[in-house]
Amino acid sequence: MSGRVRRLWRSMPLRLALVLVALFAIVSLLSLAASYAVTQASFEESIRADLRQDLAGFRAAPNSRAVAVLVDAESREADPTRLILSYIGPDGRIYGNGAIAQDDAGFHIFSLDPERAQFAGDYLSLTDRLYGGIITIARSRAEIVALRDVFVNILLISLLPTVLIALSGGLILARRSKRHVDVVGNALDRMTSGDLAARVTVGPRWSDDLARIGAELNQMAAAQEAQMKALKGVSSDVAHDLKTPLQRVAVHLEELEKTVADQPEAREKVARTQREVQGMTQVFQSLLQLAQVEAGSPRSRFEKVDLAQLCATVVEVFEPAATASDHALSLEGATGPAVVQGDRALLGQLLSNLVENALRHSPEGSSVIVSLDPRERGWVLAVADDGPGIPPEEREKVMQRLYRLDRSRNTPGHGLGLSLVEAVATLHGAEVSLQDNGPGLRVEVAFGS
Amino acid sequence: MKLLIVEDDATTGDYIAKGLREEGHVVDLVLDGKAGLIAATSTSYDVVILDRMLPEVDGMTVLKTLRGAGNKTPVLLLTALGDVDDRIEGLHAGADDYLAKPFVFGELSARVSALARRPQSIENEATLSAGDLEMNLIARKVTRAGQEIDLLPREFALLEHLLRRKGRVQTRTMLLEGVWDIGFDPGTNVVETHISRLRAKVDKPFGRELIETVRGAGYRIAQ
Repeated sequence: MSGRVRRLWRSMPLRLALVLVALFAIVSLLSLAASYAVTQASFEESIRADLRQDLAGFRAAPNSRAVAVLVDAESREADPTRLILSYIGPDGRIYGNGAIAQDDAGFHIFSLDPERAQFAGDYLSLTDRLYGGIITIARSRAEIVALRDVFVNILLISLLPTVLIALSGGLILARRSKRHVDVVGNALDRMTSGDLAARVTVGPRWSDDLARIGAELNQMAAAQEAQMKALKGVSSDVAHDLKTPLQRVAVHLEELEKTVADQPEAREKVARTQREVQGMTQVFQSLLQLAQVEAGSPRSRFEKVDLAQLCATVVEVFEPAATASDHALSLEGATGPAVVQGDRALLGQLLSNLVENALRHSPEGSSVIVSLDPRERGWVLAVADDGPGIPPEEREKVMQRLYRLDRSRNTPGHGLGLSLVEAVATLHGAEVSLQDNGPGLRVEVAFGS
Repeated sequence: MKLLIVEDDATTGDYIAKGLREEGHVVDLVLDGKAGLIAATSTSYDVVILDRMLPEVDGMTVLKTLRGAGNKTPVLLLTALGDVDDRIEGLHAGADDYLAKPFVFGELSARVSALARRPQSIENEATLSAGDLEMNLIARKVTRAGQEIDLLPREFALLEHLLRRKGRVQTRTMLLEGVWDIGFDPGTNVVETHISRLRAKVDKPFGRELIETVRGAGYRIAQ
């Protein structure tokens, strides 16, 4: 069964229709069975009444001879498939059109007509002693058997169309509701992938409950959109209010730099202040970027990104810097395309942060290896160094914002690099883990398919 | 060049106006979006430097209005946010370039000059040269003072980028975007190390500096 059919099969309206059909069928069966039982019982009762009346007729005869003559006369008239008469007289002679015999399987009625050995079909019989003999009257149950066929026909005629109508109705409803549910599902997909403007378009023929769910989803999305807008507004206000003075400081410093051009000591101080301002700007920029990534907004911009090509570019960009600081930077693993859905700039930032961290926190002479390996579904991107590593108890903490190991207090950096790595990874549905590289640190980013 | 600055912060606005005038440009400075829109539509400028956050009419609206009216003057958008989202939105609205605050004057000046020369003519030259250096784009060979210089492919690309923009300052971010197609910040000194490698091959053996450092801005090969 294809996935589509299976989904339809499991949909609510079809299941409801099936349950209803089953219920209807059971009720119909029960009521028909009951009426059949009642009718059959009354039929049988009337046959038995006929038999008793027949017997009473024979009893009216004055003696066994008369009974024998009567039986013979009547059995000549009677159709043996409907009525069988048999009288075993006191002298052992058999009169009538049949005889009762008994074997291991029970009673059987035999024809006395040599051409017909045994009667087929069901009979109801009444046997009694009469004037020293035994009289047996049997009437066919064929009518009752026919009645059963009539009931089976009634059952088929009434049940089949009902089942067919209910099933096709259920299918139509199921497909319609699937379309409606799909509309809701698609809107949800778009919302979760960052399109906050996505809404459920409620159709005029939607069921009330689904329409209500749609409306509530829209309300939720609108609230979320408003919240995101407010958040963006706040962060852009904060950014503006903090960056404008930073810009002014930078301007004043540049002017100051010109006026003190001939004073080496003052110039050095200006240069140092400029570096501090630059550092502040960087922290600020990273915090803003982190907030933006964590808000998850840019997922709508995802495109196909080749991780292998990105790794090659980043390694190439960092190679002279690594060589200058006496590090051996190399690339291992996949050379072919390793495509994931993502934001190229953010993934590049992630990889840059990891490489920069590794170069910064491992001593001269260390080697840093960037690797990209396929796994069952997706890719593992790893940056490993053979520096001092991070003690296991500290690994959790280094992911926190602005956290720095005691020994790194004097190296440059602002403690936001790994936080951004984690935020970018989370945005891409990837998982970051810090591992012991024995010696050194290995940071793995595992991308799903 | 005739430039328009639309910037509500007086300190920043005055400073960049002054700096650009010192470089020999004619500069008009206005303090809000409405005045900016009037100026940009009534006078013809080579480049408009537009702050994103402005009183009266905000920068994005000014930009969209200009582009909607068919005005194709290159626009450099200044913003306090500087995140990727913002950048994309700005470029989408018709900005030609984008600069995040706080910036240094050198970066702004370099970007303004780059914008003014747009659209760059696609030069189908076979050779580029500067002083006694010559680059053959077909044979992919570089010689200086008749001596062949062996360059790695990316060093060649970096030198080609600077040669094609002879006389114009190229900032770190401009080089990262132009040579490596990188839209992210790979840390503090990666461009510097690439340049110093290139210099070791192109400048050092010849004793005369071809690739200049422009303090606070970037690098340039002199005209």
